[in-house]
Amino acid sequence: MKRRNLFAASLAAGALAAGRKSWASVPEAAQAMGRTAPPGTVPPLTPARVHADQIMDIKVCLRPFRPAGPRLEIEPVADKIVVHNYGHGGSGWSLSWGSAAMAVERAAPLMEKRVAVIGCGIIGLTTAITAQRAGMNVTIYARDMLPHTRSVRANGSWTPDSRIALITAATPDFAATWERMARYSWQTYREYLGLPGNPVDFRDNYILSDTPPDEADHTEPAPDISKGSYASTGMPQSEAEFAKYGDRIKDIIPAAELLAGADNPFPVAYARRKPIMIYNFGAFGHALLSDFYQAGGRIEIREFHSPSEVADLPERVVFNCTGYAARDLWGDKSLIPVRGQTAWLPPQPAANYGVRYKGAAMLSKSDGLMVQGVNLSGLGELEGVGNSMEQPNRAEAEQAVAVFEDLFSRFRPRRG
Amino acid sequence: MAPHPIFAKQAQKAKGFCTALLAITALVATTHAALAAPRHAPAPAPATAPSFTAEQADHGAQIYAGTCAMCHGAALEGAHDMPPLRGLFVARWANTPLNKLYAYITHAMPLMAPGTLPPQDNIDIMAFLLRENGTEPGHTPLPADENRLAQMVFPAPNALPPVKAAPPGKAPRTR
Repeated sequence: MKRRNLFAASLAAGALAAGRKSWASVPEAAQAMGRTAPPGTVPPLTPARVHADQIMDIKVCLRPFRPAGPRLEIEPVADKIVVHNYGHGGSGWSLSWGSAAMAVERAAPLMEKRVAVIGCGIIGLTTAITAQRAGMNVTIYARDMLPHTRSVRANGSWTPDSRIALITAATPDFAATWERMARYSWQTYREYLGLPGNPVDFRDNYILSDTPPDEADHTEPAPDISKGSYASTGMPQSEAEFAKYGDRIKDIIPAAELLAGADNPFPVAYARRKPIMIYNFGAFGHALLSDFYQAGGRIEIREFHSPSEVADLPERVVFNCTGYAARDLWGDKSLIPVRGQTAWLPPQPAANYGVRYKGAAMLSKSDGLMVQGVNLSGLGELEGVGNSMEQPNRAEAEQAVAVFEDLFSRFRPRRG
Repeated sequence: MAPHPIFAKQAQKAKGFCTALLAITALVATTHAALAAPRHAPAPAPATAPSFTAEQADHGAQIYAGTCAMCHGAALEGAHDMPPLRGLFVARWANTPLNKLYAYITHAMPLMAPGTLPPQDNIDIMAFLLRENGTEPGHTPLPADENRLAQMVFPAPNALPPVKAAPPGKAPRTR
């Protein structure tokens, strides 16, 4: 029996039995999608207060998407050795520690004790700390400090293969490189769980849908061949062009489970729950900076205008962690901006979970309730690709907020 | 003096041509800025430079794949809780007499059954590690003799040359 038919059957059964759409009441259907959450494991959820008049900030970032995957090679510049570590697309936070470890590994045989890091975003900081842990003395050179870097305009959650590479542009061995990075990062992030201020934390993320998760509106549309592809246009033209590697690490990433029938507290037919790792920017940034300074690190504020300016640095080994800025600074025109916008509402610790619904995402973090349109236009991974508009778009923010305003207006909280 | 290993192959190609000297000079000049300057390196030459054969390294690779790779990774890359045998490994062992590395491998490895590999296997694993970390194989085998190993050190073929003290007021810069 095909999965789609299964769901149709379960839908009918659920509708007949309870008068409410619920597919996981049919064991076969649940089996097809994964485990069903044991009854009673969904705690009483406090509805989130999501309204446009609660928006306190709208942040825009440009993900440094590089079709070939992050640049990790060594390049001699002037009399320096530059170790590149940039171009992580929508996966910079997630892959940072692993990518840093690889960069430091490349630099280690140079036997240089005193090194420079350019850039103080998440890649720069994790590279600097990883270099310290390998016994190096590190100076960070940065135009902006953490609160002003693009890194903290991300949504800050574990998304290790979000716009990380294109299938046709990445080398065949990149999949294994990615896997190593992802595993290393995941393990390193775990070390920050449970620390004061919860720099790294987990949230239950509820993935909601009015239609069965394998219905046509959840599957990628067939590529429109008339639009061409990255090979013919220099821009990805369909979602199918983006490399996805998540299956390689599913043995360590908590899976989603179904919320069946009465256990589904949301006013939608289909709900899944998946614990996700999140990064609280304030606490985590503070933890990283403290670690860096305590290990003797130094930060110098300066802007570089061309690669040749690294010649002025006293250090002979330079880690280039400049993210999207590498497009202009290092002339890497393969970097494609992918615009992403997040709206921030006051923190709501009582509603301590995430929701994904109708192309929008909501995530309760210690520094605010984040609301983001992740696929409002139905473009999926193509949303924001090639868009370098870094100004906030209020209408888009309100559109995403409206998704959750509507959802929670229909929400009937249960009393535990 | 032997050319810096990074340039050895290129330098070899230039040999035999009447322009050899020019070519090497140009090569050194252009790459000096980049990586290392053998002409400035104050020859840290140990009593004996480590030498091993390609056969030893190949055999070592086989032993490695069967005995070591399960922890240290097929590409010697290590993992979060497992030391890599390249990259940082060089920084940790560079300029250490090889008898110490040999003793460590012999007494501590493989971790689940220390000391179970025959001496020649451990020697060949060392040859493999040398090759994977940038030392070219030669004609003389790596000896299974601790006294002779003590005369050799683990090389750091990609190390930057030592910094020369710059005259005061002048930045040590090459444009």
